[in-house]
Amino acid sequence: MSVVDKYIDYVRNEAIENPENSFSKMVLGFKANKLKTKLLPKRNISKGYQKLEAMMMSMVADSLGNEKSYVWSNIFAPCEIMECFGLNTLSIECLSCYLTGYHLEDHFIDYAQNTGIAPTLCSYHKTFVGAVDSGVIPKPVYAVTTSLSCDGNLNTFRYLEKKKGVPFTFLDIPYACDEASIAYLAEQLKTLTKELEVRFQKKFDMEKLKETIRIENETRKELMRFLELQQKHYYPGELISQLYLMMGTHLMMGRQEFLDLVRFMIKDIKTYPIFEGKRILWVHLLPFYQESLRQYFNSSDKYQVTASDIIIDFRGELDESDPFKALAKKILNNLYNGSYSHKADMIGTLVDELKPDAIIHFCHWGCKQASGGSILLKEKMKEKNIPMLILDGDGIDKRNSHDGQIKTRLEAFLELIESEGKSC
Amino acid sequence: MLGYICKYAPIEVFEAMGVEMKRMEPEVTNFNQADILMHPNICSFTKGLLEDVFMNEYEGIVLTTCCDSIRRLYDVLKEKMPDKFIYMLDTPRITKDAGVVLYEQRIRDMIRAYEEFSGKKFDENKLKELIKKRQEEQSIARKEDALNIGIVGARANDSIKRILEERNVHVTFDVTCTGLVRKLLLDEENVLRGYARGLLSQFPCMRMEEASNRDELLKQYAESVDGIIYHTVQFCDNYSYEYAWLKDVITKPMLLLETDYTKQSYGQILTRIEAFLESLNKGMKKVPKVGGQGTMYVMGVDSGSTSTNAVIMDQDRKIKAFSVVRTGAKSGESADKILKEVLEKAGLKREDISWIVSTGYGRVSIPYADETVTEISCHGRGAHYFNPKIRTILDIGGQDSKGIKLSDKGEVIDFVMNDKCAAGTGRFLEMIARTLEVDISELGTIALQSTEDIEITSMCSVFAESEVISLIANNKEKTDIANGICRAIANKSFSLLKRVGMEGEYMMTGGVAKNPGVVRAVEEKIGAKLYICPEPEIVGATGAAMYALDRLQQQM
Repeated sequence: MSVVDKYIDYVRNEAIENPENSFSKMVLGFKANKLKTKLLPKRNISKGYQKLEAMMMSMVADSLGNEKSYVWSNIFAPCEIMECFGLNTLSIECLSCYLTGYHLEDHFIDYAQNTGIAPTLCSYHKTFVGAVDSGVIPKPVYAVTTSLSCDGNLNTFRYLEKKKGVPFTFLDIPYACDEASIAYLAEQLKTLTKELEVRFQKKFDMEKLKETIRIENETRKELMRFLELQQKHYYPGELISQLYLMMGTHLMMGRQEFLDLVRFMIKDIKTYPIFEGKRILWVHLLPFYQESLRQYFNSSDKYQVTASDIIIDFRGELDESDPFKALAKKILNNLYNGSYSHKADMIGTLVDELKPDAIIHFCHWGCKQASGGSILLKEKMKEKNIPMLILDGDGIDKRNSHDGQIKTRLEAFLELIESEGKSC
Repeated sequence: MLGYICKYAPIEVFEAMGVEMKRMEPEVTNFNQADILMHPNICSFTKGLLEDVFMNEYEGIVLTTCCDSIRRLYDVLKEKMPDKFIYMLDTPRITKDAGVVLYEQRIRDMIRAYEEFSGKKFDENKLKELIKKRQEEQSIARKEDALNIGIVGARANDSIKRILEERNVHVTFDVTCTGLVRKLLLDEENVLRGYARGLLSQFPCMRMEEASNRDELLKQYAESVDGIIYHTVQFCDNYSYEYAWLKDVITKPMLLLETDYTKQSYGQILTRIEAFLESLNKGMKKVPKVGGQGTMYVMGVDSGSTSTNAVIMDQDRKIKAFSVVRTGAKSGESADKILKEVLEKAGLKREDISWIVSTGYGRVSIPYADETVTEISCHGRGAHYFNPKIRTILDIGGQDSKGIKLSDKGEVIDFVMNDKCAAGTGRFLEMIARTLEVDISELGTIALQSTEDIEITSMCSVFAESEVISLIANNKEKTDIANGICRAIANKSFSLLKRVGMEGEYMMTGGVAKNPGVVRAVEEKIGAKLYICPEPEIVGATGAAMYALDRLQQQM
């Protein structure tokens, strides 16, 4: 057993036996990993994805080391506003993923279920609730969540407020984007800044928010350029790289360092050879641990996941002259908000632009909004002549995701798209 | 006729236009359409709605943005039924002024859409009249000569209320999705604004921001009842958060009841509710008849999914005879068989038995029983009979598993049941034994010979079976796989016991208690010994006989 594995085992046991004292050891591990990703990055992936992994590891490790430096959030909370206060936005979904680094997800999920949380709830939420409830994760100063995109958000944050006393702002996201919805949400965003001013004793700076939005607009444009290039070039990455990109566009959007990284990736990808294999557009979450999927997609020159909808769930440019309205519009027009036809249209546009060979839609256990519309999306994609595979599993809990079944479906699907290519 | 599902739906607006509004309460036997058009892992109420709309003559359906499953139901219906009025009403989660203003506007949009669809016209004055006529307040009234129960949680279907009514239980309050009397506010100046305000200020549901007030209200309400049924719907996760919190806050007995909106779930609901009522010590039949003369004998029959068991006991609580037969396809046939067999063993005739209590899933199909008691109460009594020190029982039967908590007098204080899936039950073991090509009676014995720890990760029995098949393909030893399975069952049992509260001493009952592999694995997991009586299958029947004896003593 390597030193790393020994330390992982040690922290895992500590979290189970002495939950209250385990957090500092956990953070120490994250910090060690941060150094590792910088000094000894994974060799089999491209430089851009190496840097991306290191950046996200740093953000998480540095934040957790200082409890006043971050808020808990869900993945759709407006990180732009938190950035104006010098705060990091740590989404509970992503934190749950990082906890799997210590193989703690099953322990936390069981813990939550044993207190009465429904087994059918999303595993990201159960992991986080279990981690906090069992006393492993200390509470931050504040939390921010939205009703987008799932039922779990309000309920998880409210539960943690009641059980652990973590105050939070809840942003109610209306269903459709019209003037009334924009005004309603913009007003809530303003109230959020007032709340953060009080909680963190810092003045809100409008100019900073405008600057953040300018950078965000630039980043989004550059990111699309990168994705287009990734359709052409072989740029080895892993399934988890898509999740890191999602963290970038949701938790670090509007930061110069993230923009710089995307620009680096654009430069870097051009030095890679032309990609000759099949290009996959991934819809929804990625079970980065799944053995068969890793085998087929990680650093593969045959099948490349060239984009996923979770990275680019908003298109368009924000109007920096009216930042609150702009952010409200951004959230309201998110791919996950509103009707499924809105989502299907946005994915359709993406398909037209990127022209992938196939789509894989992953139905994550407990995610009703994703599962419930998967058949509709498949029908829409059929009209566009794009083969689509629906995979059922769990983004985090291995016990709900059987590798044998996923492997069979995946291999059959890959055989199918390979033979389609030949017959054309 | 328009269907609706949510208490925030502005049904009076439609009624003012002369539309018949129907609160949808689907009762279906399958989810054939829903599983094709949506996905199996969607809330079962939503799937039921989809079947309902396909089967019945609705002009349309008014949905609210209440949860993810409903959002997707709208998308599917909109796509599949373009000619009907399928409307999604965006309902704010914030009840302050900003929310009221937005909701009013949304309702106006909806009215316009319906006017366009139907050609009808909305008249504000008619709505005003309707509100005046309907204004009423929710009141909470206890009924003195009955058991008083409150229902909380996700929408409870009518069968729950029917079961309670039939047992003369008074529903003191029902604050589930559509259980409330509507709150209608009249604002003469701005009728729709006032109306929207009234709707949003109803007893908040879990999707509302203000739902934190629920705690205080529920604590007050709880004072007025003997017990609370906390209802959740399968795959609707919102309410489990509240249950997880409330169970430590509310002092009144509370039953967590999960249903899936199919007709088939009726039996499961019935067992849980009856056991709950029994634990509240009321709601039982009062006047028994007496049969037989001379030495008094009673009988308990436990009609389970796998075996039917009977015990004959005399008035000194001594077991005269017992018998175990396999339950066939018809529980009535096994009932006749067991009666004959156990009477023969005891050397008695039917007339010698004064009182018969039946229990188990098939308890209502025992034609000769004088009374039925749920297997939960019977296992409690039976366990106490065999060993009075027992406080926690793990019962694993053919198709379900239970954790039961006892007081020092052997009364059931609390229980948790798993009967939604086969994982962790006797059926599951049978299935695996078949896959491993060993006899079910040997599975436990060979598990004891295991030398390598194998982790079976899948919780679901279907997944677990394919996992076992791949382990066989990888040339793993049968003994190790068998032990892995036993440990998987132990894990499942452990969480069941944790939920019910762990307190020694422990006992295991049911057919699976005969499996030494499972027993060892459970003992390792809980870190304590399990008491197993010589015939673990007859514990329920013994408890039933004890209940029968109670009746006899009441008579004397």
